[in-house]
Amino acid sequence: MISEAILSNRRAIIPYVTAGLPDMETTGKIIQSLAKAGAAAIEIGIPFSDPMADGPVLQQASKRAIDAGFKMEDLFEHLPGWAAQCQVPLVIMSYINPLMRHGLAPTLRRLKTSGVSGVIIPDEPADAGALFVLTQDAGLDLIRLVAPTTPAERQREIVSQCRGFVYAVAVKGVTGARTLMPPELEGNVRAIKSLTDLPVCVGFGVGSSAQVDAIMRFADGAIVGSFLMERLMQAEDPVAAAGEVMKILGAPIPEDI
Amino acid sequence: MKGYFGEFGGQYVPETLYPALVELENAMESAFNEAAFWTEFEGLMEDYVGRPSPLSLARRLSAHCGLEVWLKREDLNHTGSHKINNAIGQILLARRMGKARIIAETGAGQHGVATATVCALFGMPCAVYMGSEDMQRQRLNVERMRLLGADVVPVTTGSATLKDATSEAIRDWVTNVDTTYYLIGSAIGPHPYPTMVKRFQSIIGAEARAQILAKKGALPQAVIACVGGGSNAIGIFAGFMHDPVELIGVEAYGNGVHSGASINFGFPGVLHGACLHLLQDGDGQVLPTHSVAAGLDYPGVGPEHSFLAMSGRARYGLVDDRQALSAFALLNRLEGIAPALESAHAIAYLNIYAQDHPGACVIVNLSGRGDKDLHTVLEEGL
Repeated sequence: MISEAILSNRRAIIPYVTAGLPDMETTGKIIQSLAKAGAAAIEIGIPFSDPMADGPVLQQASKRAIDAGFKMEDLFEHLPGWAAQCQVPLVIMSYINPLMRHGLAPTLRRLKTSGVSGVIIPDEPADAGALFVLTQDAGLDLIRLVAPTTPAERQREIVSQCRGFVYAVAVKGVTGARTLMPPELEGNVRAIKSLTDLPVCVGFGVGSSAQVDAIMRFADGAIVGSFLMERLMQAEDPVAAAGEVMKILGAPIPEDI
Repeated sequence: MKGYFGEFGGQYVPETLYPALVELENAMESAFNEAAFWTEFEGLMEDYVGRPSPLSLARRLSAHCGLEVWLKREDLNHTGSHKINNAIGQILLARRMGKARIIAETGAGQHGVATATVCALFGMPCAVYMGSEDMQRQRLNVERMRLLGADVVPVTTGSATLKDATSEAIRDWVTNVDTTYYLIGSAIGPHPYPTMVKRFQSIIGAEARAQILAKKGALPQAVIACVGGGSNAIGIFAGFMHDPVELIGVEAYGNGVHSGASINFGFPGVLHGACLHLLQDGDGQVLPTHSVAAGLDYPGVGPEHSFLAMSGRARYGLVDDRQALSAFALLNRLEGIAPALESAHAIAYLNIYAQDHPGACVIVNLSGRGDKDLHTVLEEGL
């Protein structure tokens, strides 16, 4: 379902939104706004107190959401409604600890029954075979990350235990918009694509329409997190701002897809 | 499984770092199998650090507690704590790997000072991440690091203590992974760090065991050490792991509300690349910690300690801020030794241990000296 949603969208943009910022009701409206504005899939971030793979913007987003009272129970309460109101697949992005707290297997099953299609875990264990089996058993796609430093042999292993799409990390470093994409990105994405039929989407550092143009020439989608969250945190009306950011990035309006 | 201690340990890191961990593990294994590596390490331990550190019988403290107390004097090492053992070992590895730049995290500043010291010794640039809260309470060590040529980077995110400094060091590493060696200061982090740090710190336990056998002709009944991340404890425990000797770690009970006592009050979770006992709430958010000892002010604990606690091979007691401060004063008065506030937790535990084991022979790992803590101790009104 995630793969199809990406492959059938002519300019697949996957926005990331931190759950509970400024509150759960607004998060729901933001998700709806992103879906209406042509998102191919939507990543919902579970805020975490110690987000070691994140740059300043997503660190701040996590902190603000936790300070505003984010609770996992609230998330589980809202997810079914969010999934029902939009036609695009929802993907949970979370550090592994919040998913482990009440047992990984039951938590993954609960995400599935709440309408989630896949999970991305930036600090998944290096030996993710067991995690992959758990997600398969739960009926969720495990979206794996391939880094610029990942050697060829490991790329092959990762894509064999990956569903939905392959998340190609554009840069060595933490999340956050950057003006330039590294020159080796295209080669890396092409190498991954030669190993799998899954769509390959690029994330970390994406923050302009021109970058999305460049990425679309060799990849199947672009993931936009910090660029979006920075604007949502500044906006007086984050719901409207979400749609505007998608427009800036050149997302196709759903009728066009 | 490799890199695990039971269910604890592992490698929970951003994918970008995974190849660096493989590279590090390979370098470590090749170095550890080479006699020349250990010859150089042991040479520096003797000539630069001043090892072996003494094992001193603390006569007046023994009489006071009703025990026979021996102190393993890591406070007498160059730079004033056990941290230098690990810093020397890892910088030798970094040099073998051809890394041009060193980064580290520090809480109390002892590991930061040790890292800045070995970087000066080997002529390598060094950045030390330190919580702004800790920079305040450990000012002396900040100045020392700067004198040694290190760039001390204040960390203001989160609680501005050791856990946040560690996260920030990892963010630097993931950004500069090709050129930079992350010199982690405790037996925490992803595999192979816990195993590597233990190997370098096990010099403490190996010496202590030989020394007690030479001086007393018998093993002690217990070995006691403070546990934050737990590198000094795992280092001394390593020498007695297969002996009929009680292994006791002492966690910081803080002010009784917030603590650093991960094994006593935490649940298994993942922080900074490993599965370990973690102080966290019902949602898996890491809880704020508190200890008067900055080096124990950490919500996790080395994964091997988690394993030793679950298996029952070691047990983990509690000492609060007040008890640690009293022990700090006591050791000054009775033995003429100012312990680090971290180590003072282990000293304070003697009173608790003595209740059920009168007259027992124990070794306490006096992991560091307390000059750095005078400021804190005076503020606390001792």
